[in-house]
Amino acid sequence: MTMADQARSEGLTPSPRESGSAPKASAVLIKVEAVDKVYQRGNERVEVLKGLNLEVKEGAFEALMGPSGSGKSTLLNLIGGLDRPTSGRVIVGGADLGAMGEGERARWRASNIGFVFQTYNLLPVLSAQENVELPLLLSRLAGAERKRRAQVALRVVGLEDRAGHRPDQLSGGQQQRVAIARAIVSDPRILVADEPTGDLDRGSADEVLGLLAKLNSEFNKTILMVTHDPAAAERASIIHKLDKGALA
Amino acid sequence: MNLASVAVKNVGRNSFRAVLTMIGVGVAMLAFVLLRTVLSSWTMGAEYAAQDRVASRHKITFVMSLPKRYVEDIRGVSGVKDVTFFNWFGARLPDREDVFFANMATDPESALRVYDEIEVPPAQREAWLQNRQGALIGAQLARQMGWKVGDKVTLAGTIYPGNWEFVIEGIYSAKRKSIDQSSFWFHYKYMNESPTLAPAMRDQIGWTVAKVENSDAAARVAKLIDGMFETRDIQTLSMSERALNTSFLGMFSTLLKAVDFVSIVILVIMMLILGNTIAMSVRERTQEYGVLRAIGFMPKHIATLVLGEAVAIGLAGGLLGVGIGYPLINQGVGRFIEDNFTGMFPYFRIAERDALIALGVAMVVAAVASVLPAYNAGKLNVIDALRRVG
Repeated sequence: MTMADQARSEGLTPSPRESGSAPKASAVLIKVEAVDKVYQRGNERVEVLKGLNLEVKEGAFEALMGPSGSGKSTLLNLIGGLDRPTSGRVIVGGADLGAMGEGERARWRASNIGFVFQTYNLLPVLSAQENVELPLLLSRLAGAERKRRAQVALRVVGLEDRAGHRPDQLSGGQQQRVAIARAIVSDPRILVADEPTGDLDRGSADEVLGLLAKLNSEFNKTILMVTHDPAAAERASIIHKLDKGALA
Repeated sequence: MNLASVAVKNVGRNSFRAVLTMIGVGVAMLAFVLLRTVLSSWTMGAEYAAQDRVASRHKITFVMSLPKRYVEDIRGVSGVKDVTFFNWFGARLPDREDVFFANMATDPESALRVYDEIEVPPAQREAWLQNRQGALIGAQLARQMGWKVGDKVTLAGTIYPGNWEFVIEGIYSAKRKSIDQSSFWFHYKYMNESPTLAPAMRDQIGWTVAKVENSDAAARVAKLIDGMFETRDIQTLSMSERALNTSFLGMFSTLLKAVDFVSIVILVIMMLILGNTIAMSVRERTQEYGVLRAIGFMPKHIATLVLGEAVAIGLAGGLLGVGIGYPLINQGVGRFIEDNFTGMFPYFRIAERDALIALGVAMVVAAVASVLPAYNAGKLNVIDALRRVG
């Protein structure tokens, strides 16, 4: 029995969507339509994305590569609902993110998107389990249920036995796995990862990439990952290359 | 776990800085509590003064005397239950020029009736009433000077020349905090009938104190007394004991205001210390707040974390200051001050109310100090904050 099966059998989240409630495996989950993104820096107008189109299907594991300044992180931020396009539409799971207000997008992010960053940014005064539990503070779940879900998420990333450890008692790879557990604890459909292995050595990076692959294959998480690392990109089924704000 | 507990745990992020800040807040709150105690003990005489006693003095100034016959006139005023009088003697210990205590001539029987909250053992009371050279002294004065019943004391007159011999017949105490327990009372007759007293000083008194039927009658009685003497050569100024004490405090109003001002300055300094600490923490955690915003935290949640941390530091500092100050003053220094500065601070203790106020003030000041950093943290642009992540 796999860990995912075990988690499912306990009725614990994160779990794959029930077939009746989730979109079909081939359904488009993320749709980016003719998106422009322009930043104004003083008097300078910086066009970061230019008429970009992209579709990502549910359950996909796709990578975004490109040189610095090509717009990878900007695209990820738009898909993650952290920012709004200057023009065009970003539709994720049927929701038009550009039409949402700040508060609405924050609430949407909390239940639909899991973020993994290059630096883990765990709260140093909290244990691994408390760090994982953090996003659930925004929910109405009871304390015991929050704790249980955090334990499950830690079990999924293989750190159940480190639940009581603080970040400074964990290695870089372990901290990133805790950050991934934090990203999946509220059972989002999509994980966006911005250089998730950028701060890790090869061994730890492989562990983290293996974990992301497992979340994709066993938990049906749709993953979009920005990376400079070709070895990391190889884990993805599709690699998109960006250059000067457009897909190459 | 909840947002509040996360905020409290965040205090330990930089424990060295947190401890220094708490000590800073603690010292500020200790100083604040001390100054509030100085103010409250100074004004205690007025706050706790009896409202059913009316004091009358010369209309022009305290220094000028009233004729003793006024006592009987006042006794006849409607609403007056009893009346006594005092005369400031102003003598010193011949060999202790540095020691000051209030010494006053009075009519013992009526004084003990009017000041019925004064407690004197019955045997001592009787002894004082019987002995014209007898003195009744406050418990604090007795402690301060090491005097006991039966001791002979000589005072050197300043207003009334010569050496005056007394025997301490009684030591009084009082539950009411406004009663000065460092006074020296003796028989008016002993002074007034002394052959050495100049004829012009005979049958003169400093002020009268009338006990009225109830506290509501005090203002009316005061008006009646002053009205009665309005057409006489010497007019009076009458007021309730509380008003009298308050007017006495008015002489020190500038000093009291200065103490008040200093306590506010201390709070402002504390606010700046805290504000700076919190602002530094917010700057250091920009990336972290960006991540929290990314995973769904709203500006209000971030602001709550900042505010909660500040209040926790303020409370900890307040507890430190009050925790040190309360036992220090109430178990040690307060007693020393009462014994040695009894005229100014007859009761120098930190009131529980003041301690609780100090804790509340520490939290409120901390909250106010963190408003701007909390607002700034809350309105951080997520993208800008995350850009620092990578």
